[in-house]
Amino acid sequence: MTLLLCTRSFAPAAVELSTGIRHVSDTGGLDDCSAKAKAALDAYLTNATESSSGEWLATAQNPQAQTVTAAATVRCYALPKGYVVTFTCAVQIPENPYGADALCLNIAHKFYGGALSSLAAMPTPTPVPTGCSPANLVGTWVSDDKPGLTLTADLNGGFTDNDGVSGNWGLRGMTVTLTYYGEHTLTLSADGKHMRGGGYNFTRKC
Amino acid sequence: MTRIFHARIGAVTTAFFLTAVTLPAVSQAALELVIGARQVVKNEPVSTCNTKARTALNSVFLNAGEVGSGDTGEWKAFGAVDSEGHSFSAGAIHCYPLDDSYLVTFTCAAQSPPSPDTATALCTKLEAAFNGGKAEAGTMKRESP
Repeated sequence: MTLLLCTRSFAPAAVELSTGIRHVSDTGGLDDCSAKAKAALDAYLTNATESSSGEWLATAQNPQAQTVTAAATVRCYALPKGYVVTFTCAVQIPENPYGADALCLNIAHKFYGGALSSLAAMPTPTPVPTGCSPANLVGTWVSDDKPGLTLTADLNGGFTDNDGVSGNWGLRGMTVTLTYYGEHTLTLSADGKHMRGGGYNFTRKC
Repeated sequence: MTRIFHARIGAVTTAFFLTAVTLPAVSQAALELVIGARQVVKNEPVSTCNTKARTALNSVFLNAGEVGSGDTGEWKAFGAVDSEGHSFSAGAIHCYPLDDSYLVTFTCAAQSPPSPDTATALCTKLEAAFNGGKAEAGTMKRESP
């Protein structure tokens, strides 16, 4: 006996929540439900864990966004005969490539049987640029005049110095903005290897 | 000694200031889905659960609705929308009838930031709203988490 009431979100939402799939089994116990819950979650998400007896949660990360963009819960409750289980899913749109309804339907069908559809694959991580591209600041920068000071810049506009202090970088044309103990404006050289100004002089390792 | 002490205080203050100024780096919006409480409420019909679910969801979110048609006992609602119609939080309450009682579960999701509340905080509010702050001892069994 299954109640299948998946509906789209009420409004175009950055968080999309799907609920309404409930399945009642006249046979099997909590252990049976839990085993199926873990298997169904692990089929589409990662690290299915039991937060308390019969209550399961799993998530999936978008490698490109570097954050969790999909999650689902499967909640089992033992009845005098059998169990009742509910499925709830959430995704973050547009970072997640598939909707909450599609995720929940697949997890539920994996649990109690039914047609499975293919979910769009998560995007692959953006390759980290190498070399000294003047289009970005990604890489390790060594201070020319402050011994020991290095900045390791990432693709997302952040960086960390040798002491673990974080900051942000921006690049417009050849003008660099570093937010690091205040805001500093520097100029990137044409070969992308040096940036100077605002009291700082750095050379990129490449 | 006093000079050393003042120098240390100065260094600590400077470090604190610089850290405070520097550390607010770009914060990544992350989706959080939380398994809220599960309760068995005795001597109440599931219709009471449905009424409480709608009221509780409307007190924490907006436009609570029962999913599907008829008495499904599956409720959900979304948080306030921004200027582009995007909502960054949502909650669900499931009501299921048992012999002389009902089972109710709470589940919440949030994208924080921009949602000011975490999913955990939202589910705590939702559960409190459902119980009206006066759960009767002996009639309500809070099973998890």
